[in-house]
Amino acid sequence: MLIFAVETSCDETACAVGSGRKILANVVYSQAVHSQWGGVVPHLAKKEHQIKLPSIINLTLKKLKRVRKEADLNKITAFAVTYGPGLAPALETGIKQTKLLAEEYSKPIIPVNHLEGHIYSVFVQNSQGRPDFKFDFPYLCLIISGGHTQLSLFYDHLQHKIIGKTLDDAAGEALDKAGKLLGLGYPSGAVIERLSEAVENKDFYNFPRTMIKHNSLDFSFSGLKTAFYYFVKDKSQRFITDNINKLASSFQQAVFESVIIKLESAIKKTGVKNLIVCGGVSANKHLKTTIRQLARKHQAKVLFPRYDYLYGDNAAMIAVAGYYRYRQGYYLAGDEFDLLDRKPRLNLEDKFIWKTKK
Amino acid sequence: MKLIKTENDSNKLFQIQPEVIKTLRSGGLVVYPSDTVYGFLADAKNTSAVTKLINVKKRPFGKPISVFLPGFESINEYVDTNKKQQSLLEQLLPGPFTIVLPSKHNVCSYLESEKGSLGIRIPDYKPVQSLVQAFGSAVTATSANISGKGPHYTIDSFLKTLSKKRLSQIDLIVDAGKLPYNKPSTVIDLTEDSIKVLRKGDILLTDLDEFESSSPKQTRKIAQFIFKNYLLTSKQNSVFVFLEGDLGAGKTEFTKGIGKMLGVTDIVSPSFVGFYEYDISDCRFKKLIHFDLYNINDKSELNYFNLETFCQGDNLVIIEWGQKIKGLIDKLKKQTKIFYLQILYQDKNKRLIKLKQ
Repeated sequence: MLIFAVETSCDETACAVGSGRKILANVVYSQAVHSQWGGVVPHLAKKEHQIKLPSIINLTLKKLKRVRKEADLNKITAFAVTYGPGLAPALETGIKQTKLLAEEYSKPIIPVNHLEGHIYSVFVQNSQGRPDFKFDFPYLCLIISGGHTQLSLFYDHLQHKIIGKTLDDAAGEALDKAGKLLGLGYPSGAVIERLSEAVENKDFYNFPRTMIKHNSLDFSFSGLKTAFYYFVKDKSQRFITDNINKLASSFQQAVFESVIIKLESAIKKTGVKNLIVCGGVSANKHLKTTIRQLARKHQAKVLFPRYDYLYGDNAAMIAVAGYYRYRQGYYLAGDEFDLLDRKPRLNLEDKFIWKTKK
Repeated sequence: MKLIKTENDSNKLFQIQPEVIKTLRSGGLVVYPSDTVYGFLADAKNTSAVTKLINVKKRPFGKPISVFLPGFESINEYVDTNKKQQSLLEQLLPGPFTIVLPSKHNVCSYLESEKGSLGIRIPDYKPVQSLVQAFGSAVTATSANISGKGPHYTIDSFLKTLSKKRLSQIDLIVDAGKLPYNKPSTVIDLTEDSIKVLRKGDILLTDLDEFESSSPKQTRKIAQFIFKNYLLTSKQNSVFVFLEGDLGAGKTEFTKGIGKMLGVTDIVSPSFVGFYEYDISDCRFKKLIHFDLYNINDKSELNYFNLETFCQGDNLVIIEWGQKIKGLIDKLKKQTKIFYLQILYQDKNKRLIKLKQ
């Protein structure tokens, strides 16, 4: 069974072909146009998706040819596409293109939740079927990225419960904003990581850890952002340049510590010892080390995405999530495509749009 | 004294309305919930009822007490207003404000100030509004407490402060459970040329279209107030709100306040993706579009935002960091209604919110 997945929820144009958990071909195009602007520009993203998607689809099929002789869309079982959450005009482009393809080749479409995709990213295997481990439900999931920061329970395929989420900024977004204030460009997570490593990820300024006393598992980073802004605002450029490592590291530490505290209380509250940590920010080595330490402390196991390309947005995770949806009958046939529309604020728990019908 | 418990059930509050009105007509004193705190209700035209109120409250004579009015139409029956005041009243009422204006002396004189002014209220709270409407005449609007002491959000805490003798003078207590912690109304004196704030409530006007906030919660409330009185009442289909403010000023908090009025409870910062859109039901707006232009550095990017496309349809568009596209306002103005809001950082715990149309 082959699934062709399309992901255009933000500024990555991505396609992949999966067979079960195995990824046979994968292409991610990061829209470099945004870095000069310092952030994602909605309609520019849409335009880029429109221009790039056809060639990304072709490139993916070319790659598929390397592992499968017959690599054309007639051999595909179904198309999977991200329908939310994300940027409306960007999602729209992927959905529109997928509908056209599915109509042309008379295949069904599997609408996939982007966040669920991230969770499945830790189960993605290469074309040889590695890594090879079985599902062991339930999982406690932490999605931590530029657009999302949330904790959820993953009971079984397609069964999710959100137990905590950010009330304002996502962790990655907070890091980007701090990076911008320090003049580090966009996106700045990786630069902050390097600057922090140079001072051993230590904390020098003790910025506030927001919501840590709060009993809930929700996150909030806007108070930290504000505190950082007013701290930096009064300082001279000289001070910032001289202390750039310390500032970056202290901010990163404040973000990570808030996350770790919530993750630990989630482990305690739920008693779930199988952890999944995914999303762009989880690529940070220091965060990974800290989470592994936390897991050891609680005799918990933690799964991170196995390959580097799985941290950011990609279509491989959509193909795998799509596979499990397809297996349970969650797909749309040709005469039902009208039901599929972008859902910019789709929630991990949201029931699937075709539920009423089935 | 009679005690009726209605709990948080507004239907029950309506059911007992005839009994409350009967008590008021016979000159009785009633403790009743309001949009802010528990209050004492008495017929404002009945001198003996008002005297009873002043006694129970230990209110010094000569200190004015404001009144609930049956509706907007009845304002001119009780106070004098000029055109400017009238238009301000239209913006503020109904709402958590007490407006002080020259009295026409149609209520018991004990309620008026020495200068002959009267504080009037039209609360945005159905149980009181419909009660006073049905009563057909002004009713006292003062918090149910001993003068100089704090207000009460539960009947239990109120009863604890009363002696038996004082309690016996109250005719009816309506216990609607615990009220949400809203501050007492903001008292605004309009008797002189400039606006004078006599007491600070949740929504603070420092001038016409200028609000002061000292917490995220207050920022949300001000947003709700602005939504109800400005955004919702504008005649154009789509409405754009440009939010100007520094990092951490409370722009997202402001948007969350509006979201709550629209039944949208999952608003988060959209700066990562540029904007989020939310479907809305039960409102004249069908969609809430929440932009964040924080990441925008270059003016030429704006060509890619296609803001004009949102002018069509019933959209409420909120744009954080709106100052970055001030240049587009003139162009958009022809197609949509625009509000420009500044959230100014005063100090760590104080923000000034300025509204321009």
